[in-house]
Amino acid sequence: MTNKIKIQIRDLWFYYNTNLILEDIHLDIRKNCITCITGPSGQGKSTFLMTLNRLWENIDGAKSQGIINIDFENGFEEITVPGYPLPQLRQKVGMVFQTPNPLPMGIYKNVAFPLKLIGEKNRDSNFEKVKTALKKAFLWEEVKDRLTQDASLLSGGQQQRLCIARTLVLNPQILLLDEPTSSLDETSVEMIEQLLVILKQDCTIIMVSHYMDQIKRIADTTLVLSNRQLSKQ
Amino acid sequence: MRFAVKENLAQLFFSGAAVLSGAATLLILGFMILLSLPVLESGLLMNILTDPWSPGHGQFGILAMIVGTLYIAGLSLLIGFPISLGCSFFIQITSPHGPGKLLKKLVQFMTAIPTVIYGFVGVFLLVPVVRQVFSYGSGMSILTASLMLGILICPTMILFFSQSFARVPKNFLLAADALGGTPFQKLIYVIIPHAWPGLLTGLILGFGRAMGDTLIALMISGNSVMLPSSILDSARTLTAHIAMIIAADFDSIEFKTIFICGSVLYLLTSCGILAARILDRRQQG
Repeated sequence: MTNKIKIQIRDLWFYYNTNLILEDIHLDIRKNCITCITGPSGQGKSTFLMTLNRLWENIDGAKSQGIINIDFENGFEEITVPGYPLPQLRQKVGMVFQTPNPLPMGIYKNVAFPLKLIGEKNRDSNFEKVKTALKKAFLWEEVKDRLTQDASLLSGGQQQRLCIARTLVLNPQILLLDEPTSSLDETSVEMIEQLLVILKQDCTIIMVSHYMDQIKRIADTTLVLSNRQLSKQ
Repeated sequence: MRFAVKENLAQLFFSGAAVLSGAATLLILGFMILLSLPVLESGLLMNILTDPWSPGHGQFGILAMIVGTLYIAGLSLLIGFPISLGCSFFIQITSPHGPGKLLKKLVQFMTAIPTVIYGFVGVFLLVPVVRQVFSYGSGMSILTASLMLGILICPTMILFFSQSFARVPKNFLLAADALGGTPFQKLIYVIIPHAWPGLLTGLILGFGRAMGDTLIALMISGNSVMLPSSILDSARTLTAHIAMIIAADFDSIEFKTIFICGSVLYLLTSCGILAARILDRRQQG
């Protein structure tokens, strides 16, 4: 755990049409830590995550104001400026969702998909990257003999780890997780928690979770989102 | 019990409708063959399929019309497909709530415009432009007709493509966005592979509409009965040919050839559908 700041959030306001969701958020998020966000449902926790990779921009009627600076190892960059390249931002700030969302293709192709997006064409190097990502996500041993199998045939826990591997294949500096274990069984939850604790050595992790036990087990910092405000617990 | 009777009645009704539409298709084919029989029995079929069209010299070949039809329908599909794909992407993915919604309304309105209006636009706007730009012939050409037909078939294709784009699960689009995919990559790698069957149906309908349209071809393709050598040449389609010959003497060979034209059109459309289905099966693995 370091004290180095990875993300600076200043004067962040967020609206869905005229509904105010986030009000004047000021926050620093530390590097190589697991920051958990909890709070009542419908308060904007997922929305907050989406401000960090600007995924909210695809939502009709959504509007954000304020400044978010991220240190991508070359000093802070303001990612909220118009024209900031979104593909590059989202490759450095990966996101995993509540419901696993493997694409309708094989296991290998799913994990290699982000490499295709950035134009990586070297097959050998891609295979190594996919293998490393699957190993990091504790999935390699389970799927190494059936890499061409349709990803939708995997179990829920395996699909979620596949989605984590798919995000990890690009070595993101920040990993956003939106209730990644909410639909999984106990064994899968345990596996993903272990995985996150290991991953924080290379990644800054921000995770939304409703489970206080889980937060106690893995969080370095806990934030509560309530009444449009984020506060430390 | 009452529910079961209703269920059975509904099933009977829908099965009846399916059988009726299938039977209608076969009946039309049978009817075309029946009407073509006098020509088939006279042994003139090969002459009709290969000879030039020159009734004055006793030649009633429709080869030029077959080639003209394929040229115009193929080219209009080439023009209409990328436009339709782009518009559907804009309507359903890029801007589904703002300008995209407006564009969809416009496209729906376009489907209701009578073909003759497109024909007028072609004659008075497009033909002079093509004539001026290429400084070749009268401007009534394969290219002009294809451009107009390309636009004419767009609404049908756009509506089908948009529907199939809408069926792509939001999860997949979200995954592509979160991984840093650009809109174009999202279209190529996620949307098209998933919406493929709908795209194919739209293409078949577009192709069918382009092949079957009579008025545009009649008004702006120039109606020459020569084999075209370039897209700037004038050409006559099978449908335009039927429309022009139908007033001929009922007993003449000239008149009877229109049934061969109809059968060829039927065959070409069936081949198009068959090819698309084979392609679909291959794509689905």
